[in-house]
Amino acid sequence: MKTILLIATDSIRSLLHHRLLLGLMLASLALTIFFSIAMSMARKNITASFSDQATINSVMDSRKMSEADRQTFRQSMEMASSTFQGFFYIVASFGGSLVALFIFGTAIATEIRKGTIRLTLSKPVSRTQFLLGKYMGGVAVMAGYALIASIAMLVFAHFQRMELSPVMRWAPWLMFCRQMMLGSVVLLLSLFVHPVIAAVLAFFSGNGLYSPPNPLYFILPSYSEFDVTMEVLSGTLIAGKDVALLSLYALDFVVIIMLLALWRFRTKDLI
Amino acid sequence: MAAIHTENLSKTYGGGLRGKKSVALRGLTLEVREGEIFGFLGPNGAGKTSTIHLLLNLIRPTSGSASLFGLPVTDAEVHRRVGYLPESVNLHDYYHGRKLLNFYAVLAGVPDAARSGRVAEMLRLFALEDAADKVVSKYSKGMAQRIGFAQALLHDPDLLLLDEPTSSLDPVGRKEFRDILLELKRRGKTVFISSHILSEVETVCDRVAILQQGELKRIGTLQELSAGRSTKFIVKSLPAPALESIAATAAEITLAQGLVTIRCQNESCRKEIECLLELHGVQITQRETVAQSLEEIFFSTINSSKTS
Repeated sequence: MKTILLIATDSIRSLLHHRLLLGLMLASLALTIFFSIAMSMARKNITASFSDQATINSVMDSRKMSEADRQTFRQSMEMASSTFQGFFYIVASFGGSLVALFIFGTAIATEIRKGTIRLTLSKPVSRTQFLLGKYMGGVAVMAGYALIASIAMLVFAHFQRMELSPVMRWAPWLMFCRQMMLGSVVLLLSLFVHPVIAAVLAFFSGNGLYSPPNPLYFILPSYSEFDVTMEVLSGTLIAGKDVALLSLYALDFVVIIMLLALWRFRTKDLI
Repeated sequence: MAAIHTENLSKTYGGGLRGKKSVALRGLTLEVREGEIFGFLGPNGAGKTSTIHLLLNLIRPTSGSASLFGLPVTDAEVHRRVGYLPESVNLHDYYHGRKLLNFYAVLAGVPDAARSGRVAEMLRLFALEDAADKVVSKYSKGMAQRIGFAQALLHDPDLLLLDEPTSSLDPVGRKEFRDILLELKRRGKTVFISSHILSEVETVCDRVAILQQGELKRIGTLQELSAGRSTKFIVKSLPAPALESIAATAAEITLAQGLVTIRCQNESCRKEIECLLELHGVQITQRETVAQSLEEIFFSTINSSKTS
């Protein structure tokens, strides 16, 4: 375990020294913040004078709205808030997927290309320990990404005096689970093909291209279940039980893919 | 027990969907004894680096097997007794020198209590103390080679696998490297060196093997390889049919002061010339056996393989 943790720590260190990756992460976060600001400005325009519930109520009273109109008006106000959150989630999730594809796709391939794997594996380090260490390093970086994205979301919501959509409680965790699945797939594929091809294949392997009649639906990962954009927009809640089931599915999927990756890695020529 | 043992070890790259087949190693059977310095020679593409990669389990053999200290190379635990220096040292260059050695020391299983002392010792041995707190990406090629050698020796391994170890070192560095090897030998360590620098191998190695196109051509001590190999025949005259026959062999003919000198660089050539001289009834005036240098042995092996 000590060896795996050491390789994971080294992997994090190496990723933090990777200019392209840092650029990608910063660009992803900057894009998220940019979209958030743009959305919040749009929201401000919509709700120019309706900054709180009391004002909204007074507007509805002054307009002598019927109950049905009031309902529609309230929904449109809630929609403006959830659209902001939805955009934030989409951009953070997409950016995170790109970062995951980059981190896991290059984790082994870069070590082989640079030749650094030779010195590491000349020490009493098994290939299994090496692969697991590399994966864990990626997991730690992605957890950091999810954490930063969550904090950014909370800070924005606080300054906008906005109530978070109920599903946002689980959104970062589900985004993280999805990225771990994507990461394991790209890691496996990168042991067969060039990392860029692996990233493209992994990205399109489970993006809802296949529906149940297609046998590929049952073989390829189903990431769409982890996408809560619609729930964020509609303000609906995901049951804790569903989150637990999705987490189990992700764990199960990652274990299977990592076993396949281990089998491939143990027989691969590392030069 | 042998430090290194290979049995019919072969490696073929490519083939199938991966393109054209390329044979790197053909049925290599080799044994390196504990405590010896073993030179592994051959021209570029002979299969030297592939052999080292097979011994480190970085690549998988197409057929055959290899073991280190009696354990299969697939057992990562055997690496506790192995140190490796690759031809081009590619390090995790975001570390400082000291931290890099510390990282490798932990991986190699150097006990916590001994680690910092061992790292300091290696920095001192390889004259890297001043650069210990400098980031490795700023190191010169020679410094990278030295820290690469330091990481190979960190855990005091019983076997060192060195692939072109002095390629980036200056003459002073080479001399220091030679001294370290001799010290390791004195301490009973086994060293397996793949090198192009024949003079270097000649001065330190107990035994050498010559590899060409993936095949082991010769193996033995320098005395065994050179004994009776270079032979010089001097004859007073050489009839035309004899001259024609001898010219068709690998022997070298020179004419000086009315004497014909025929030089043979290897055993098969010597036997062939003896037969031809006897066949044509030529009287041998003088016969000399000259000890060969490693360079002569190397080139005669490579050239005779090409001729055959």
